[in-house]
Amino acid sequence: MNRLAARVMLDRLVSALVILCVMLAAIPVLILLVFVVIKGLPGMLAPGFFTDLPHPIGVPGGGVFNAIIGTLVIVGIASLVAVPLGTLVGIFLSEFGRNRVGDAVRFVSDVLTGLPSIAFGIFGYTVLVATLGHFSAISASAALAVLMLPVILRATETALVLVPNALREGGLALGAPRWRVTMQIIVPAALAGIVTGALLAMARAAGETAPLLFTTLGNEYLQLNPGRPMGALSLTVFKNALVPYTSLQDQAWAAALLLVIIVSVTNILARVYVRRVQR
Amino acid sequence: MKHVLFAASLGSAVLLAACGGASSTNSASPSPGSANIPTPPAASITGAGSTFDYPFFSAAFYAYNQKFSQVTVNYQSIGSGGGIQQFVKKTVDFGATDVPAKDSELQPAGGSAAVVQLPVTLGTVGLAFNLQGINTGQLKLTPKTIGGIFLGTIKKWNDSALTADNSGVSLPDMPISIVHRSDGSGTTYIFTDYLSDVSSDWKDKVGKGKSVAFPVGLGAKGNEAVASTIKQTPGAIGYVELAYILQTNMPQASLQNRDGNFVIPSPEGATAAAAQFLATSPTSFSIVNAPGKNSAPISGYSWAMLSKEQTDKTRGTALVDLFDWLVSDGQQYAVNLHYARLPANVERDAIAALKTLTSAGSTLLNVPSGS
Amino acid sequence: MSQGTAERVVPPPLALRHRRQRVDGDRVFEGLALGAGIVILAIAGIFVLALFLPALPAIRQFGLGFLTSSEWNPVTLRFGALPFIFGTLLTSAIAMVIAFPIGLGAALFLAEEARLRFIRVPLSFAIELLAGIPSVVIGLWALFILVPLMRTTIEPFLAHTLGFLPIFQGPVSGSSFLTAGIVLAIMVLPILVALSRDVIRVVPRSLREGSLALGATKTETVWSVVLPYARVGITGAMLLSLGRALGETIAVTMVIGNRAEISRSLFAPGYTLPSVLANEFTEAVGKIYQGALFELGLVLVLITILVNVLARVMVWRFQGGREPTRV
Repeated sequence: MNRLAARVMLDRLVSALVILCVMLAAIPVLILLVFVVIKGLPGMLAPGFFTDLPHPIGVPGGGVFNAIIGTLVIVGIASLVAVPLGTLVGIFLSEFGRNRVGDAVRFVSDVLTGLPSIAFGIFGYTVLVATLGHFSAISASAALAVLMLPVILRATETALVLVPNALREGGLALGAPRWRVTMQIIVPAALAGIVTGALLAMARAAGETAPLLFTTLGNEYLQLNPGRPMGALSLTVFKNALVPYTSLQDQAWAAALLLVIIVSVTNILARVYVRRVQR
Repeated sequence: MKHVLFAASLGSAVLLAACGGASSTNSASPSPGSANIPTPPAASITGAGSTFDYPFFSAAFYAYNQKFSQVTVNYQSIGSGGGIQQFVKKTVDFGATDVPAKDSELQPAGGSAAVVQLPVTLGTVGLAFNLQGINTGQLKLTPKTIGGIFLGTIKKWNDSALTADNSGVSLPDMPISIVHRSDGSGTTYIFTDYLSDVSSDWKDKVGKGKSVAFPVGLGAKGNEAVASTIKQTPGAIGYVELAYILQTNMPQASLQNRDGNFVIPSPEGATAAAAQFLATSPTSFSIVNAPGKNSAPISGYSWAMLSKEQTDKTRGTALVDLFDWLVSDGQQYAVNLHYARLPANVERDAIAALKTLTSAGSTLLNVPSGS
Repeated sequence: MSQGTAERVVPPPLALRHRRQRVDGDRVFEGLALGAGIVILAIAGIFVLALFLPALPAIRQFGLGFLTSSEWNPVTLRFGALPFIFGTLLTSAIAMVIAFPIGLGAALFLAEEARLRFIRVPLSFAIELLAGIPSVVIGLWALFILVPLMRTTIEPFLAHTLGFLPIFQGPVSGSSFLTAGIVLAIMVLPILVALSRDVIRVVPRSLREGSLALGATKTETVWSVVLPYARVGITGAMLLSLGRALGETIAVTMVIGNRAEISRSLFAPGYTLPSVLANEFTEAVGKIYQGALFELGLVLVLITILVNVLARVMVWRFQGGREPTRV
């Protein structure tokens, strides 16, 4: 075989390998989703899954109502803190942040993004559990808020930076004060990116487990007081995965499916929203 | 005569009503037949600790909530070590542990003088395994073989030491996968207490404790995960509290006790073991390797820790009421789940211990003694 | 004077008043924004303190020996971080060895080959979707599906074919360094693919086209032109993914076997820094035991920060000082 043919063959081989690689990269998620749906759907469709509280172990049936409410409350409180604060910091970085403080904030934010999720749990425990003397949903919300902040902050900054300067200059030229220009012209223009960032951060927070392990501890009952321990869907999946009772393991799969649905729908909605607004 | 009787019954009725009323702000009528179970005030209680107790607690607290809906008990099974730690840090109202906390461990909470530890259940540990075709009782283990397996000197199922004791069963040529606890566990303490007693090798090399350096094996967190791992791993063996074994139909081994009999761990075996000891206290509590032909060799009590001085009177009252019920009427749920009922003298001691809880000086438990 | 709506004429006294308003309003706004930035810095500071202060008793007790000791004994209170550091590094290394070639290949495909949207978009979408799946769900799947598969099929196969290597010897139980490494590889793939793809896209078309014009095949172009150019950026992408792998907690905890021991065999159970924290944090009694765990947390955080900072510097430098693309 002459050299050219050899090179062409190598090229074809590598192309095939590359296709194999992308298949290998895309397949895990499909396998995962298939299993989660197959194993989780029966549990999810079982009567009482959404409305009942968990039954004592060994007693079949029961549901995850308390965990659903818990996830909503914990992520809700975390978002109430992280979204406004993160957006404000994002505005700061984009409009006033070309200085050392801004650089410091960006650095810190990048560092926080890369931290292991368990570190946030430790933070939540040291700051709000050990000090207050009991486990609580708020400590979990605090941990999640710190986890969400860098995501929201960066998404906001990126979205704002993309808004053309002409808009800013135009607004200022009209005599409007800086804050008006920013809040009433620039931020609305970047709203799609900001909302997406917030949604993605919330979806991520809803799926987190490690920060909840020793902050909110868990609760088999419905608890609406954020100052007390609360259950959560991710905790339900984690705990039920490690017990020998098949009815609880089935509930773990069902709760996992629910989580995947919530997270995926939020992610997809966020991206669709961005694309639509950008048209 | 009639007047005296009338006065007496009226008096006792008033007394009973007063007692019942004194410990409740929110009344839920107690079910008939348990007139001396106090009605608790509304409270949401958090407890954590032993996974040994978890099946019992799970059923009992659920039933208690059905009975008294104003009290919810949120119990998280994080292991005895976790129970002690979180109790000492006061992040939970009570802790549960299969080995009483030492005075040194209780120092941050004021030492053992400030903490009441009472036995709440009596259970036993079994050795569950996963071998195809071999069921409960068909595998016989002696103290020597148990020690060898967990020390790692017996590595395969068809090792001569095992086949010698199990001539009727064909053991496969498979490596033994040991599963032990990865967290601080009272169940580990009970098991290693037993091993230290029967194997001087173990005592020297590993010792006893909530968390020991197991020479071999996989770690799993909690009795639940150990059971789960054994179930999913062919060739596995591990030590698990009986309730988990029976509730999930796992095969367990027949254990040779001190008298030389092979017994399958059971609540009766636990009761037999406990009966060999006059009383139990936080400093003298071990009942492993008990004599007696029916004694289950790896048995133990499990304990609850409560602060002697309760700062919140309502919650303190709810706590003592809960545990008063748990060690008396609540024991039926333990029995249903294959724990042994607390012996009568232990129950009395437990209630006596509950009576020492106070809040701002006044005793919290207001029931006539003796149940 | 004024034509159209774009201009606004303001009489002088009003202008003066307006300017002061503007200054006040802007000052408040700027102050708020700056305040928010400082709040972030304060939170970060509290974070560091929350990790560092409780670790002090252990740092004082064990000193640097903590990092080299293999003993982890809560009974005798002798603690060392080595088994966990080993486990963390080993599982992450396995993850990178598996994920890097696959991820790079996938990125090449998506950046170079896939002109057709109807192939590229669904594939990208599938890979991105994986990034959003919660770690505990992947752990659940790994525990019930992957671990038995490893135990019954894959690990015995490796032992059979490559058993002359010490890393593939030893008893097989399914929960092992190897299983955890594979789980990490799956979790790290999306980031690796996304970042690498962005890096490769930045390579100027002219360079590629020049190479092709000279008669090189696509493979040769990629090998001799694209990859060398993108080398720094790809390394950065790899490091960022490594950072993610190092810190992954829940999925790994469910499959690693929880054994604090250094082993030559990949089939052996092990322990990682995040896993031991997740398992033992609630039960650490006493200042030394607790301090040791906090110290482990500190070690973990420092390692991840180091890797992340290195990664971002490389990616940032590659992109000529521009803002790095968001993940």
